[in-house]
Amino acid sequence: MGKSRGLRTFAMILGPGVLLSACDGPQSALSATGADAIAMEGLFWVMLIGATLIWILINGLIYYVTRVYTGSLSPRLAHGLIVGGGIIFPLVVVTSLLVYGLSAMPEQRAMGDGVKLRITGEQWWWRVEYWPEGADPANPPVAVSANEIRLPAGSRAEIELTAAKVIHSFWIPALGGKLDMFPGRVTRMSLKPLSVGVYRGQCAEFCGQSHALMALNAVVMEPGDFDAWLKAEAQDAAPPKGYAATRGAEIFAQQGCGACHAVRGTPARGGVGPDLTHLGGRTSLAAGILPMDREALMKWILSPASLKPGARMPGYDHLEREDLSALATYLEGLK
Amino acid sequence: MTSDATHPSRAGRGNPEPIGTFPPTEEMLSEPVPEELARAQEERLRKTWETPKGWRYWTAVNNSEVGVWYSLTAFGFMLLAGVLALLMRVQLAVPDNDFLSAETFNQFFTMHGSAMMFLFAVPMFEAVAILILPAFLAARDMPFPRLSAFGFWCFVIGGVFVMGSVLFGVAPNSGWFMYPPLATKAEGLGSDIWLLGLSFIEVASIAAAVELIVGVLKCRPPGMRINVMPLYAWYVLVVGGMILFAFPPLIAGDFLFEMERSFDWPFFDPERGGDPMLWQHLFWIFGHPEVYIIFLPSIAIAAMIVPTAARRPMVGYSWIVLSAVGTGFLSFGLWVHHMFTTGLPNISLGFFSAASEAVVIPTGIQIFAFVATLMVGRVRMSLPMLWIAGALAIFTAGGLTGIMVAIAPFDWQVHDTYFIVAHLHYTLFGGMVFPVMAGVYYFYPFIRKQTMSERLGRWSFWLTFVGFNVTFLPMHLTGLKGMPRRVFTYPGDIGWDWLNMISTIGSFIVAAGILVFAWDLIRPKGHQPTPPRNPWDAGTLEWTHDVPAENWGTRSIPYVTSRYPLWDQPKLQERLDAGRYYLPDAAEGLRETMITSVIDARPLQVLRVTGPSWITLWAAAFTGGAFIVPTFHIYWPAILSAILAVACIIWWLWTSTAQIPEAEHKDVGLGLKLPIYVSGPEAPGWWGVWITMLGDSTAFASLVFGVFFYWTADRSFPPEGYPFVDMGLALGGAVLLSASWAVNLWVRGTARRQSAMQALALAMLLAIGGAAALIASAALPGLDPTAHVYPAIMWALIVWIVAHVSLGVIMQGYCLAGFAFGRITARYDAPLWNTCLYWHFLALQVLVAVAMTALLPRVL
Amino acid sequence: MARRQWTSGEADRAEFREERRSLFRITVAPTIWALHFAASYAVAGLTCARLADDGPDVVLMRLVIGAGTLVALGLIVWLGWRSWQQWDASDEGRRLDDQPTSRDRHRFLGHAAFLLSIVSFIGVIYTVLPVLLIGSCL
Repeated sequence: MGKSRGLRTFAMILGPGVLLSACDGPQSALSATGADAIAMEGLFWVMLIGATLIWILINGLIYYVTRVYTGSLSPRLAHGLIVGGGIIFPLVVVTSLLVYGLSAMPEQRAMGDGVKLRITGEQWWWRVEYWPEGADPANPPVAVSANEIRLPAGSRAEIELTAAKVIHSFWIPALGGKLDMFPGRVTRMSLKPLSVGVYRGQCAEFCGQSHALMALNAVVMEPGDFDAWLKAEAQDAAPPKGYAATRGAEIFAQQGCGACHAVRGTPARGGVGPDLTHLGGRTSLAAGILPMDREALMKWILSPASLKPGARMPGYDHLEREDLSALATYLEGLK
Repeated sequence: MTSDATHPSRAGRGNPEPIGTFPPTEEMLSEPVPEELARAQEERLRKTWETPKGWRYWTAVNNSEVGVWYSLTAFGFMLLAGVLALLMRVQLAVPDNDFLSAETFNQFFTMHGSAMMFLFAVPMFEAVAILILPAFLAARDMPFPRLSAFGFWCFVIGGVFVMGSVLFGVAPNSGWFMYPPLATKAEGLGSDIWLLGLSFIEVASIAAAVELIVGVLKCRPPGMRINVMPLYAWYVLVVGGMILFAFPPLIAGDFLFEMERSFDWPFFDPERGGDPMLWQHLFWIFGHPEVYIIFLPSIAIAAMIVPTAARRPMVGYSWIVLSAVGTGFLSFGLWVHHMFTTGLPNISLGFFSAASEAVVIPTGIQIFAFVATLMVGRVRMSLPMLWIAGALAIFTAGGLTGIMVAIAPFDWQVHDTYFIVAHLHYTLFGGMVFPVMAGVYYFYPFIRKQTMSERLGRWSFWLTFVGFNVTFLPMHLTGLKGMPRRVFTYPGDIGWDWLNMISTIGSFIVAAGILVFAWDLIRPKGHQPTPPRNPWDAGTLEWTHDVPAENWGTRSIPYVTSRYPLWDQPKLQERLDAGRYYLPDAAEGLRETMITSVIDARPLQVLRVTGPSWITLWAAAFTGGAFIVPTFHIYWPAILSAILAVACIIWWLWTSTAQIPEAEHKDVGLGLKLPIYVSGPEAPGWWGVWITMLGDSTAFASLVFGVFFYWTADRSFPPEGYPFVDMGLALGGAVLLSASWAVNLWVRGTARRQSAMQALALAMLLAIGGAAALIASAALPGLDPTAHVYPAIMWALIVWIVAHVSLGVIMQGYCLAGFAFGRITARYDAPLWNTCLYWHFLALQVLVAVAMTALLPRVL
Repeated sequence: MARRQWTSGEADRAEFREERRSLFRITVAPTIWALHFAASYAVAGLTCARLADDGPDVVLMRLVIGAGTLVALGLIVWLGWRSWQQWDASDEGRRLDDQPTSRDRHRFLGHAAFLLSIVSFIGVIYTVLPVLLIGSCL
């Protein structure tokens, strides 16, 4: 991310470049763009070089004394090795590392100064609520969303985490470290993204059958764009446009989707499943496992449990194909 | 410093003293033994230590039999858990795979972790220690052979039960760490199978720890002072101590967990004041020391192989002792590093980050002491040494990534990713699998009196070593690229696919290596020439054993004056074989070994150890029933099974322990006569009780910790509107139970049989009354344990005490019967001493429990 | 009761009595580390869970842990000094503690206790590093 194609091609030609590009990815902690993740990526490379050198030294020595020079060396040297290698050397290296690591902790978990989010881990999706900068979190959130978070670049967002039934863990590797989400308890963290982009995250604490299928995207936007987006996200759902979407809205109501899902501005107020008010505006479907398009929506509505084992949403395989398509059109239109 | 009058060993009333000369003089040692006498002695020893034949073979309790069964069973479970790993690797070889379903995959990874930890790594330590420790110490057997056999049978029954659940698709599926609420709310039997099946095995582990500690401290050969003890024994001592403090918190956690599963007591349910974090603490207070419980005994094997390969004594003996003891302690300050991402305050995490880095120092000293020994010696690169070198290469890599993940903010990135999977497999393969494999090659000639193939061994090594690195080295990157652990599938477009494919290929190379090893292990080797007695030219006592094998262990128990007796005591082997040393005979046809003092190994006693019996099997079967039947939420047969288990154990103790001997002293040779019956703090049985109760108290302390934990985590603990435990009844219960303890203690001081019996009956009544008062103190005010965690934890403490009082009453009854049938007298009073010791601990627990239930909630 | 005829004599026996404790003595320094560690964790945990996240409570917590640290370090240094003497490090041949004599066993236990007090000392210092470097309960 943020590296130009030309630079990357150039890097591919060079050996280490191949290695570096092998480290990239939408969910890679080695493609860090958040302040906290960048600090840890830097620390990792330093530690990797140090660890490699130490490993070569120790094992080289073992190789030397068992294979190359099998004669007897002086006991004084051997005792020196125990004191030097066992106490003095690790004391110096480990103490420096520890002091750096401990000093880095307050900054990594500093209080946020921008937008505030509360994310609730559900089996197996994410409930997301927003409060704009300066708002009192005792008030109701200005916007409720699911399975995607959006953050403004350049400021530190405060994030509260909790869970509904079981423990989950919230993690966007490119932005920063993870934190667990507990039922009956609120934990807090903060993230400071620096570059615009879409970064993938995933639940990192085993949370049951479909733990593997609980992902989300973090969309980092320019601050101005973010403010506009949040304003729009706080609005009610746009009314359906066109025949198919209108028909889809009717089916949505008929099938009782509103018992579990909310679409603000319509009678659908359910709180069990994800809020769908601006579903079509999200970058992925079903907690990061499907693209956001009509095809995928149809597939999902038809049989959620075959895509996400154990999911609580029932399948709608009794719907006519046309109705299914209309329903998907309606949902995709909720931007 | 201490006068004789206050020293505990003086308290043992009426214990006879050893008579005669010690240490033996050179003159005594060089006197030849008449050949005819020696042959007669051999005949008697052979008959006494004979392994039962035919179907009675399974009644054997000898450490050489039980140890082999134990280690082969553990190895079998390892192969099964390895197959689960291979199936998981197949599923993960390509993205969006459907080779395994999500549910199956979750059961597999849960069972892979649980089995590797509870059915392979820890039992393997116990198995190897039971198998080789007596030989290192030239002891005839472990101090409590039937206890080893009982532990083994418990392990088999529990292991087959837990592992078998995979075949029926009902295996636990919430991860080997069983985090509530996921695991407490999981449907089906899986969580119960895990909890009850493994609790059962944990109890067996504690039994093994007790036996190994007593073995190291009390069963060393005469003269083997603590500063010349083999390093392996030091490690076993440290690890035994660690088990006593590490396993009980998990057992306490299991107890709370199963109460929630079975009776809905809400210990981990946040809706009723419970807290899932308490489980995490209890689990990892066990879980992290566990890693070192696995690592230390395996590195102990390396500590025996390295000096042999270097052909010189270990450099820095006391440094290694420091390292083992220091690691043992520090390992208890690391547990929260498994909880770095739980949102604890930075400062709390900092303590554990610091301790996790501090443990680098003793571990480093350990490694460098090996390197130093190799430097000073003239290394012969034998096959076992090759495995050790491989172990060091892998372990150092795992240790270095360990230094990385101990930095909390870095762990926030890699925690619960494949980076950790890589790290932990590097530490466990390097710290456990490779050293144990080295140990198998090294000790095979000692155990089987045959040798394994050098050629197959090298094949196995290189396949395993290369395959291991191909599997796990890429996983560091997989994890850094964001792949979490415990996912049954992953998408193809985020760059994890090729890394996973490499890992899967590697895993099959490892499997090939292990298979070559397994084949070499079990293939028939009948045509081989008998290997030499000491094939590696080692210096320690296990290589004095006879070839071909004899069941007596050591022909006579030598007088040891060196860390490497075979190098430094040139005549030792010859004198040992001639029966020149101690206990060369079994004149009464009873199995005997020597008990010596803790520090300087002065001879104290001839211990008559137990022989073959079916009772251990029955006891294990009924104990198994008591743990396994409740899994299905059926309780009456379980209670019946528990009663039968207790009956079997009482029968076993009654018929075979602390028998009144035919004479006070026995001539053990070299001009020394030792007492046969010893009671109190000089007796190994007393030590066993003492050590067991130390572990028991740790479990109790974990429950007490739970009370304080709830109070710290929840500002409204105890909550408004719940009744207190009745103060009068609770105090009354404490008074009655203390009185029972006092009466019991008085009995130990009395010489009159009649009054002792009456007093014991009184003590039993007092104890029953006390337990009833404690139950009433919570039941009458109407504390409902399902309503909230506060009444639940109060009840948990009371249930704990009542269960212990029941056992205490049984022990008092045992003593009463002992007096009645003349098995206990004022002179032969070992069971009474042990009962009193149990009651000391119990009385303390009662006082703490009453303070916690009746007083503390009123104060908070 | 029968008479014991130890050839090594009564003096050695008295020393043996003393040494029975010294196996436990080698664990005293690490036990101090463990108590200090547990107490520091408990004080910090209680402060952060029951009191404020910041401000005077945290200052008080740091002072309490600091005082505890001084006590722990003092005890460990004293133990280290005692065991250094027991090791008898002034002796030229001090590295040899492998003979089957009471003297060597005595010195071995001293040496092990001395080394363990060094590790415990480092452990205690490490324990207070977070208190020094992290000034709040966040």
